[in-house]
This record gives sequence, C-alpha cells and structure tokens, in this order.
Amino acid sequence: MSEAIRDFFHTDWESMTHVDWTGLIIVLVLTVLMIGLYVWVFRPSNRDKFEQYRDFVNQDLDEKEDIRKEVGHGETR
Amino acid sequence: MSANVSSEAPEYNLTIVKWFAVCAVLYLVVGALVGDIVAWELAFPSLNLNEYMTFGRLRPLHTNAVIFAFGGCTLMATAFYVVQRTCAVPLWSDRLAWFTFWGWNAIIVSAVISFPMGWTSGKEYAELEWPIDIAIAVVWLSYMFNFIMTIANRKTSHIYVANWFFLGMMVMITYLHVVNSLAVPVTMTKSYSLFSGVHDAMIQWWWGHNAVGFFLTAGFLGIMYYFIPKQADLPIFSYRLSVLHFWALMFGYVWLGAHHLQYTALPDWAGSLGAAVSIAMIIPSWGGAINGLMTLSGAWNKLRDDYVLRFLVVSLAFYAMSTFEGPVMSLKTVNALSHYTDWTIGHVHSGALGWVAMVSIGAIYHLVTRLWKTEIYSVGLVNSHFWIHTIGTVIYICAMWVSGIMQGLMWRATDDYGNLAYTFAETVSAMHPYYVLRSVGGVLVLLGALIMLYNITMTIRTAGQPKAAAARA
Repeated sequence: MSEAIRDFFHTDWESMTHVDWTGLIIVLVLTVLMIGLYVWVFRPSNRDKFEQYRDFVNQDLDEKEDIRKEVGHGETR
Repeated sequence: MSANVSSEAPEYNLTIVKWFAVCAVLYLVVGALVGDIVAWELAFPSLNLNEYMTFGRLRPLHTNAVIFAFGGCTLMATAFYVVQRTCAVPLWSDRLAWFTFWGWNAIIVSAVISFPMGWTSGKEYAELEWPIDIAIAVVWLSYMFNFIMTIANRKTSHIYVANWFFLGMMVMITYLHVVNSLAVPVTMTKSYSLFSGVHDAMIQWWWGHNAVGFFLTAGFLGIMYYFIPKQADLPIFSYRLSVLHFWALMFGYVWLGAHHLQYTALPDWAGSLGAAVSIAMIIPSWGGAINGLMTLSGAWNKLRDDYVLRFLVVSLAFYAMSTFEGPVMSLKTVNALSHYTDWTIGHVHSGALGWVAMVSIGAIYHLVTRLWKTEIYSVGLVNSHFWIHTIGTVIYICAMWVSGIMQGLMWRATDDYGNLAYTFAETVSAMHPYYVLRSVGGVLVLLGALIMLYNITMTIRTAGQPKAAAARA
C-alpha cells in the first residue's frame, strides 16, 4: 500500500470525540440497515409480496380486499 | 376509477381538495410574478424602486410563495385527495382540515406583509419571524395529525406507497422546521438564532437542503406515485423499487446539507460525508425516476394525446437531471467552481420549474377534471401551457448554467503574475445578457401560469353547463 493511500485512510482514533463516535456508529448502523433493505426488497421470494400492489390505485375496493386475502402481506388490521 | 369507488366519492371531503387546488394555481401565478420581478431587478437595478420593492425583500417573498404557498397548497390538496382515495375513507376530521386550510393561508398572507416590511430572520427558506414560525408548526401538525388519523381509520389493509412519501415528508419537515427555527425573540418582529457560527450554518443547510429533499422531493414523489399510474391507467413499473426509493430517500437525504458548506469553517470531513451521501443518492433517485418513466413502457403512445401525462413524464426527466446534477455539484472539485455562482440558481430552477412545478401542474389538471366532474375547458390551452412552460424553463436554466460557469471561471482566472484577471464588477457586467435571458424565461413561465389560471377558472365555471355534461357522456 502506497504512503499516499496509507495517509488517506489514516485515522487518529485517539482524537475521536463522543460526537465523532456517535456519528460514526449512526452511519454504520444506517449502512447496515440500507444493505438489509436492498436484500429484503430484491429477494426473489419477496417479489409477490410487493408487486401485488403495483396496480393499487387503479383497482376498486373489492379488488383491494381480494389482494389482502390472496397474499396476506401487510395485514395489520 | 371504477364505478365501485366512484359511487363512494360523495363520502370523501373533496371540497377541501378543491380549495387547496385553486389556491395552488393562484399562488403559482403570484410566485412566478414576484420571481420575474426580482429577475428583472437583477438585470436592471434601477427597478428597485423603493425599500419595499428591493430585491432583498422580494426575493424571500418569491421563494416562500413558490415553495410554501404553491408547493404547500399542492401538497395539501394532493395528500388529502390521495389518502382518502387509497385508504377508502373520508378525512378523519373536516374541521381540522379547514383549520389547516385557513391557517396555512393566514401564514401566506403574513409572509406577503412581513417580507416587504423587512421582517426576516435571515435564514434561507426560513425567513419568517418567530411568531409565524410557531403558527407554521401548529398548522403543519394539524395537517399531519389529520393525515395520520385518516390512515389509521383506513378500510384497506395496505398503506399505498404515495402515503408513505407524504407521511415521511410531514414527519421530517416537522422536526427540521422546529429545530431550524429555534431562536431568541427580541421583539415581535425580530429574533436571533439559538445557534451561532458554523453550527448555525450547518443547522441552516441541514434545513435548507431538506426543504428541497423532503418538502420539494418526497412529497412530490408521493404525487408522482399516485398520479402517473392513475393518469396512465397502468400499474407502476416496480413496487419494490418504490419501497426502496422511499427508504433510501428517508435514510439518505438528511445527510446532504453539509455539501452546501464546502470550503467553509465546517470540518472538511463533514463536507466529504455530505458529498459522498449525495453521490449515493443518485441510485434511489434515478431508480424512482426510471420507475415512473417505465410505468409507461409499451404505452408511450399515450403521450401523444394525454396532456396531463406529458407534464408528469417531462417532470420526471427534469427530476432525473437535477438529481444527477446536484450530487456532481456537491463534489469538492466541481463545487470549487460552482459554489456562489448562478450555476446553483440554474440547478435549483431545473428542479423547481422542471420537476416540482410540472408534476404539480399535471396533478392539478388531473384533479380539476375529476373534482368538478368535467372535461378541461381547453386542451389547446393546456398544450400551449406545456410548451410555453417547458421552453421558459429551458431558457431560464441554460442562461443560468452559462452565466454561472462563466462567473466561476472569471472569478478564478489569474494572469501570469497570479493576480486576478477580472474585477468583481467585470464579472457582474458580463452576466447582464444572461440575466435578461433568465427574465425572459421567467416571463414565459408566468405566461404559462396565467394560461393555466384562465383555463382552470373557465373549467370550473363551465363545469355544470351542458357542454361539460355532453363531454362526459
């Protein structure tokens, strides 16, 4: 690894304040959550759970209720 | 809309939607008018006639009129419409909805009075003084509470993605507005920010960029996700992409504000983080734009004669363009040239006139015909509006791009001895033709808004007349 790259990635951990650590941890947590989100959304087995709502705005009420019964995703009520 | 849902339409509170929609059109005209006045004032400073008409006092009136009056009324009209339609229930409280309506309009009137008087906190996109800031928080909460309670009472099990975007916008704007507006009042018309120095700058741009990111993007994406599939009568291209779009936007946008403060007292790492997340945001933003555009996949012929779709689709092209341009401008190497120049103004207006205004105009045309159960008064006038607005926007943003890049290059130019090649006055003089061109672009946008106002007024006036009934039949 060249010196320039070493310098670029060098971090003075001793000088990190509480605010720095808090920010770093939040960034890392959000990064993990984002990766999890991508995996969850694009997992082939979850496809129908999401895509059943593609035409939600153009369906009438009866059809919307049918969708709920078909797949059961989002049954919060 | 199928007969089943239409038959239930009378249960919905559509009157509030009508009022907000009409106000939005009126405020579009006012905002564009004031914007064009200040544009001419920049080109010809002698037009700054008196202290009430100076650029410094009218400019915040323009930004507040277009963002919070036009944009706000559009968001309130569409959110109240979409939440009722997609949850299959009327609004939770009509009284609260009317409180929101009159409260929001009272705030707009107070802005019209206070800005020309010079009462300002001096914070960009948050210039209103503290008593009005408190009123904004109260009215905004009434809007959000009514929306949440309507969702809570829904008949459908699923909460459609457009509602997620609206709700995300409401939640984020609440805390952004409250924190950014924290101030020490001195008199009824003067206060000082609770923050100071670089912290104040960071809070200001944390709010400033998120006014763009949540108020002017997330909320209008809610509009896009309802009105494009509805108008095209087609399913959205990918619902998974819309979910990803939503969460990535919510996670990502709050980090971007720091990129407004490159090369300032803000720590370097904060600017780098802002730029890095800005670049990462291209992925979900383009995902969303592609999702909207690909909804028309196989049905592009609809654009030939569907005037509403034309506005909605072109707005997405501008959305894609500005969400690429913005991250590029946040990079330090590009920012060194673009910052403080008219390039930024061009970028903002490609988003504001191209994305926000066009998706709003499309949604309002869609709404008006359905709310008043009639055909549009003149399709020809809508087509004229589309082309006049598009040409005006392109003239505006091209003028500002050229002006801004020239301005940045002139500022940094040096001679062989390292002295600045141009004085500041020379750079101002060089920009004059572009300022005139920008004002001409603004005239076209204003003309388009006036055409829209006339067309919608006539549509509403002729709604109950035989011609409209015949058209429906």
